[in-house]
Amino acid sequence: MQPIQRRAVYAILLLAGLVWIFLSADKTGASTAGRIPAPQKGFLAPEISLSTPKGEKYTLSELKGKAVLVNLWATWCPPCRAEMPTIEKIYGEYKDKGLVVLGINTTSQDSPLDIAPFLTQYGITFPILLDEVGSVAHRYDLRSLPSSYFIKRDGTINDVVIGGPMSEALLRTQIEEILK
Amino acid sequence: MLAIFRNLLAPPRDLILIVAAAWFGLSLAEKRAARYHVDAEVLNNLIFTGLLAYIIGGRLFYAAEHISAFAQSPLSLISLNITLSDSWGALAAAIITGLAYAQRKGLSLWSALDALTLFFAALAVGLGFSHLASGAAFGQEASLPWAINLWGAMRHPTQIYEIIASFLTLGLFWFRKADSKPGSDFLLFAALTAASRLIIEAFRGDSTLIFGDLRVAQLVAWGILAIALLALEFLRPKIAPIIVNEPEEEILPIKTESKKAKSSVTKPKRNNLKTKKKSTKTSKA
Repeated sequence: MQPIQRRAVYAILLLAGLVWIFLSADKTGASTAGRIPAPQKGFLAPEISLSTPKGEKYTLSELKGKAVLVNLWATWCPPCRAEMPTIEKIYGEYKDKGLVVLGINTTSQDSPLDIAPFLTQYGITFPILLDEVGSVAHRYDLRSLPSSYFIKRDGTINDVVIGGPMSEALLRTQIEEILK
Repeated sequence: MLAIFRNLLAPPRDLILIVAAAWFGLSLAEKRAARYHVDAEVLNNLIFTGLLAYIIGGRLFYAAEHISAFAQSPLSLISLNITLSDSWGALAAAIITGLAYAQRKGLSLWSALDALTLFFAALAVGLGFSHLASGAAFGQEASLPWAINLWGAMRHPTQIYEIIASFLTLGLFWFRKADSKPGSDFLLFAALTAASRLIIEAFRGDSTLIFGDLRVAQLVAWGILAIALLALEFLRPKIAPIIVNEPEEEILPIKTESKKAKSSVTKPKRNNLKTKKKSTKTSKA
């Protein structure tokens, strides 16, 4: 191919690229994902409506306006156990600034008798909810434990951390983000 | 099938795909290193140095951005959380370290980049599979026969588009014959990758928008495509060709010389050969 022909092809390609950019512009707002619930960054956090072992009920949609950390865990999961003291420490520091931590025990795959001793051992003060039928695990597409969802005040998920244990710095940076 | 794949390789296991792709790409790049006059071991070290710098640099940049959080728990600097990394900082660290290493080893920039092209192409395939496993880089809602159910809706399988495009690029470079012009392989790879991103981004459902409704990634991809094409067209001829160490030969002005002159020039060569043969015979004796 002659240099002039090649340059003409390149110019046409670039021009076509520009046309494609304008043609495929997101005029309908299709790329904004915050309108439907899904356990993914940028989406609305799926609803949670569960009770604590004492029978106190918590509903995520009622916590709108607060920054929420949802942590799915089980007593048999070593990384879950490892990160519990850090979550408790951070909760103590940030709860007055508007942070709510919901520790959701995946009771459908855990031993309910182990939960109370676990909470006493780690001195947990934030609400622990029991997912007895696995509805939240299903809604949050749970594939690995622990899984943590950092939810902004408007109810959208700011970030998802799958696996653990989460370090203190990670928790701090993520929580400061959702408290903004 | 897709559900099984996503269950088996859900995060953080999706990283296995990237590591496997990096290993595969490294093997390919090593095999082809000689084609670009790059030592395979030097290339191997270059990639490892770059990857190490990517990991450490990413963490240090992230820590610098969130200095107060790390000041309260300095041990977090060595935590295994991959989220604690700044991707742009990591990339900058890898590029700077790679350049420094290449300069120290006397590697030509264009030859090194050409030799790395297969590594990058394989890595892009791994990244596509990782996106498919994690559900990242997802598509817009669509009612197509090949749409996939993801994040509460039927969507364009943009991760599959990404894998196909990356495989095509990898295949092209796998079967492509060596180009003597340094930089051409890498620039072509950059152009193809940018072009595929420019097209696929249009179907993505997680695009960051600018100027109202334009997608940032498309604008960046267009810029890279333009630079790569310009570089292919204008920079490439100016780059000095790779110097291959071959015995110096006398350049003969054949076209301009008469037949008589040609025979006078070629004769001494034959004589040279004869004398060489003679000398070998004598040495054998």
